[in-house]
Amino acid sequence: MEAHHDINSSSSRLVNTMTIPMDEGFTTGDILRDTLESTYVDDSYYAKLRDDLDEWQKIGAPLSEADRQTYEALILHEHWLLDRRAFERWYKLYSRQCVYWVPAAADMPDSQRGDPQRQVTIAFDDRRRMGDRIIWLRTGMAYSQLPPSYTSHSNSGFVRIATACAGEVKIRSQFIVHEMRAGHPIRPLTGWMGHVFIEEDGKLKIDRKIVALLDAARSQHNLTFLL
Amino acid sequence: MTYHFALPPLDALVEDHRVHRTLYAETSIFDAEMNKIFGGTWTFLAHESELPAPNDFVRKKLGLRPVIVTRDRNGGMHALLNRCTHRGATVCRQDEGNARRFTCPYHNWSFENTGSLAGVPIEDGYGPEFDKSKLGLGKVRVESYRGFIFGTLNREMPSLEAHLGQAARLLDEWLDRWPGGRVVVRRGTHRLICNGNWKLVYDNSADGYHPGFSHASLLRMRKDRYGGGVDMQWAVGNVDEGLQTVADVGNGHTFIDQRAEIKRYWEQAAPMPGENRYEQIIRDRLGENADAALDLVMGSGMNLNIFPNLLVIGNQIQVIEPKSVGLTHLTWYATALEADDLPPEVNALRMRLQEDFPSFGEPDDLANFEECQVGLGIPEMEWVLTGRHLNSGKEYSGAKGLLTGPVTDELPLRAFWREWKRIMTSTAALAAS
Repeated sequence: MEAHHDINSSSSRLVNTMTIPMDEGFTTGDILRDTLESTYVDDSYYAKLRDDLDEWQKIGAPLSEADRQTYEALILHEHWLLDRRAFERWYKLYSRQCVYWVPAAADMPDSQRGDPQRQVTIAFDDRRRMGDRIIWLRTGMAYSQLPPSYTSHSNSGFVRIATACAGEVKIRSQFIVHEMRAGHPIRPLTGWMGHVFIEEDGKLKIDRKIVALLDAARSQHNLTFLL
Repeated sequence: MTYHFALPPLDALVEDHRVHRTLYAETSIFDAEMNKIFGGTWTFLAHESELPAPNDFVRKKLGLRPVIVTRDRNGGMHALLNRCTHRGATVCRQDEGNARRFTCPYHNWSFENTGSLAGVPIEDGYGPEFDKSKLGLGKVRVESYRGFIFGTLNREMPSLEAHLGQAARLLDEWLDRWPGGRVVVRRGTHRLICNGNWKLVYDNSADGYHPGFSHASLLRMRKDRYGGGVDMQWAVGNVDEGLQTVADVGNGHTFIDQRAEIKRYWEQAAPMPGENRYEQIIRDRLGENADAALDLVMGSGMNLNIFPNLLVIGNQIQVIEPKSVGLTHLTWYATALEADDLPPEVNALRMRLQEDFPSFGEPDDLANFEECQVGLGIPEMEWVLTGRHLNSGKEYSGAKGLLTGPVTDELPLRAFWREWKRIMTSTAALAAS
């Protein structure tokens, strides 16, 4: 498997394959034993996230057919797993130094307003906290998820954003997620997402995901499910 | 003039060992509360660090009344009713900003950030009797205690500090965890919606009975993943035999003290992203002072609830914002602790830790409050019990002379309702100036 490094050319892809990872994923027991320390979130990691916020503002280019087959397909697969509540398989799509990040600042936070080093977020999950969240959801005692939420992700408007980070591919998309919990009305959530892909151990992985809710700065009802 | 609301006789609804469900479920009660409780006593409005510079303002609510909290050019704090004295439109429509004046978009009447009316277009249309000095924005009486700005429409209220009483001393303890440290907000918020009455939130904030049960998901996740010793394990088992206490702080203020259960703050903290790297950096930089600095990352071990709407819990400032009888917004303001000798890594970790309970704890509470609201709608089941440890003989005069009990004592509920009834039956006139 050969990785291309000319990643700003829209035809280049990190993993030169038309397949996406379809592993069976981890079990809850695997996650319990995975990553019990938090070692990589530091000043340089936060600086990278601030740079991301600046890059996400840029004009994107519609995806080539090859990029659709690789990146759009993996995003759609990721959301399919979330909508099926297959959290353990979802977890395996992420890299070892990943983040799942839902800012509390609205819509299109710039690198100051959205800086997670200085501010709390709706979710800022490194790999360990992502595991905590899955274990928490699986305890069967989280009353905010009894009954559980079911989601339906719809993403569109996929564009590739040029990035200065070698070895990374950035894809931005628009989303509507409908969430339903028994006893509650169906709720739409909307905004944009950014996915940063890297190659790790010869596989395409999601390294960083940002979910920027249109109304992130407003009061939110029960956001204990995954976006 | 003072409005009087047709209320049922409250003595029949508030007893020491039980209160009536309608207090949570009836719109007429809610409407009266929004006028008499919120504004009839000192009510939390804002933290001074939200408006640090001259002419800064933030938009808030006093109950349901829209209010602008301003800092004038000389640093004086004001709370202005956001209502043009001409025809009633709001004059400020932004959540925050910096402005010397507020101009009503309807007819451009403009007001200084002290409230006084500065200009009226085509003023001569009102004739010679027109007196601008009587047409400033309505003003709420304001006082601050160490950065916490409160307002009231009750001229008879004693000073804020007298009203806070021992709550002010507890707030001192919360504020003074690091010599010279300044607590500041503007570090982001968690804004949460609960389809439940606002009092369910206040009730729970001094409820030491629920954590081992309501937070089973958090406790189980921590134990399965990290083993014992991490975060909130003192909530497990017969907690009345543990070291936590609750206290009646007077005037409806209530308190849970968990501090005696926390031997090593940093080591008992919940896990947070970045902790290994930043711990090392803080230890390298501060040497023997590192333990004390790391301890500031963990919450205070205090739940200090200041009647009716301010909850100082952990490292957060929570504000209860009632919207309707069955809808409440709860805003958690994250705080940083700033001091010249505290490295920024402490605050980076504080941000991550302050996301933990809103992720894995509070949602389960809010889900339970919502289900309380559902159950409290049943007319035939009338009572909510508040009598735990009322007659157990376990209450005593504790620290600061406060009536204190074991942590599952419902003493705080009784303290709340006593103050609630006192204010709801008060005949004090409420007025803007």
